[in-house]
Amino acid sequence: MIVERQPRDLHDALAKTIVGQENVLEALLLALLCNGHVLLEGPPGLAKTLACRSLAAALEGDFKRIQFTPDLLPSDIVGTRIFDQRESSFATVLGPIFANVVLADEINRAPAKVQSALLEAMQERQVTIGPQSHALPDPFVVMATMNPLDSEGTYALPIAQMDRFLMKINVGYPTREEELQILDRFAVADTQPVRCVATLDDVRSWRAAAHAVHVDEKLKRYIVDLVAITRAAEGVSVKSAGGDTLKAADLIDYGASPRATLALAFLARGRALLDGRDFALPDDVRAVAAPAMRHRIGFNYRLATENVSADRVIDAMIAAIPAP
Amino acid sequence: MARKLTAPLILVAAAWLAAAGTGRAQTLQRLTVESFVLSADTLQPQVDVPFHVIVTLHVRESVSEITNLQLPMLAQLDLLGDERQTLSGPRGTQYREVVTVVAHADGRIMIAPATLQAIDARDGKPKQWFTNDLPLSVHSSATRIANGVAVGLLAHIARFFAALLWLALLVGAAVLAIFLLRRRAPVPPPAPVPVSYQQVPLLSEAERRRHQIEDALLVLRAERTRSAAVRVRAAVWRVIGAPEGETLGDVLRRPGCNEGALRDLLVALERSAFTYDEDLPGAIDDACAALERYVGSLT
Repeated sequence: MIVERQPRDLHDALAKTIVGQENVLEALLLALLCNGHVLLEGPPGLAKTLACRSLAAALEGDFKRIQFTPDLLPSDIVGTRIFDQRESSFATVLGPIFANVVLADEINRAPAKVQSALLEAMQERQVTIGPQSHALPDPFVVMATMNPLDSEGTYALPIAQMDRFLMKINVGYPTREEELQILDRFAVADTQPVRCVATLDDVRSWRAAAHAVHVDEKLKRYIVDLVAITRAAEGVSVKSAGGDTLKAADLIDYGASPRATLALAFLARGRALLDGRDFALPDDVRAVAAPAMRHRIGFNYRLATENVSADRVIDAMIAAIPAP
Repeated sequence: MARKLTAPLILVAAAWLAAAGTGRAQTLQRLTVESFVLSADTLQPQVDVPFHVIVTLHVRESVSEITNLQLPMLAQLDLLGDERQTLSGPRGTQYREVVTVVAHADGRIMIAPATLQAIDARDGKPKQWFTNDLPLSVHSSATRIANGVAVGLLAHIARFFAALLWLALLVGAAVLAIFLLRRRAPVPPPAPVPVSYQQVPLLSEAERRRHQIEDALLVLRAERTRSAAVRVRAAVWRVIGAPEGETLGDVLRRPGCNEGALRDLLVALERSAFTYDEDLPGAIDDACAALERYVGSLT
């Protein structure tokens, strides 16, 4: 399928505003192409809001930001019904979730009831307010953030809830060179707004094109092997920070779900399309393997006691499966 | 089918050694080759029925492994497996490699000799040894029945000519006996030549790489299939020293791989290995063109 405006144009437009954070940009675009949502973990001030706002602007779409707090109510997200005294009837006020790009900031600061309201909306792509169901706009991408530095007063997301995110990205600090670029770019008072480079219709056609990207049988087997090893990682060993060799299987309570298998295939297709190809490669699968699986694997307490990072274990498991 | 029957048999080194690094030419083994034979468990395999091609080498030295032995690339056969066995003892070493293959089309297949490069322990010179070649006649069930009728007819004709040949041999033997009795000179027995060899100059790494890439090009041109593309991709990766299990991204990060003709070749081979079926002919054309350009860049 040939699409006139390419997803790469959108990426390039965003890259003109966002310095570095290539993985965040790619994750946003992949979520858009694969009709999924992204969970970001990283310290504040890393251009997450700017990335979401820029994405919405580049698509001429709506952008909403929801700051999650302990006193937030589900109705603050999805909307509510209020009584109109003049009309003597109830009117529906739609919540901030009705936007094309939604930033759910510090999602783990809200209680489980609010989290589940958001996650259900993400899954069903519709919300019910009173007697009426309202479809969410299409495209609809949620970028949720979690702050790892401040765990006080937070409500951890259960893995079953996190499974609904297509991918989880660990956001890191920019490099020294990138930070110098940030200084130069944002020192001026009026930064150039992101120009619109595609329409929402383009996104829908890109999605169809991504769906048609070919995934070879060899790649499908590779994907299944990658997910399977998270469930039976007896043969994989990993070095702890202290230099001890540990069995990956001893650090994992349960592996990735079949939803991870589907996510890997979707994301590999999306990445191939971003790269201008209509067939996926092992590189596509390997590049998305950690983001697609890291929030779907249940690590146990030994991960912390042995001072091993989850990503190191995931990398060891990915490396243990030879690419086709 | 006709094209397959008349197509030049493309046989190249499938066992391109994993360590194709520099200095390989200087590490030839010093061997006394006593026999080097290529055989098969049947010379008339059936379509879609696996059979074995066997390489047997016997050397006088006791060694733990045989290096620089190159199997023919079995372009018209599908490789199903490969089993190697090296038995060393006081009387030398027997190396036996059994390749399990299957043919998917009937017709004649000529398997070219396997080769071995080593220093000949007899005279200290680097040489290349060749096995015999191996003609195979692949039959489908239908052709076997048709051939059965033809074979019966031919058998009668063959018996007639055999009788004539015997008569001529008897007369010839009588004439030879008379001649030898008259000369009475002792005739030295011919020296046994168990295997054929030719003295070869040691190839440089670039020349070796060029030969291997040319062979890969021949394979891909002759057999324009996905499996051939995957095999050629694996072979080219071995030539540049990339281990199996890496991705294209890993390979491109190796020194010298992400530039010029080699980069184009690696990308083209990746496409031919993973693209969808409708795109495969175009992908193989591109891969062949990239192989040509890479060969050109090596000369």
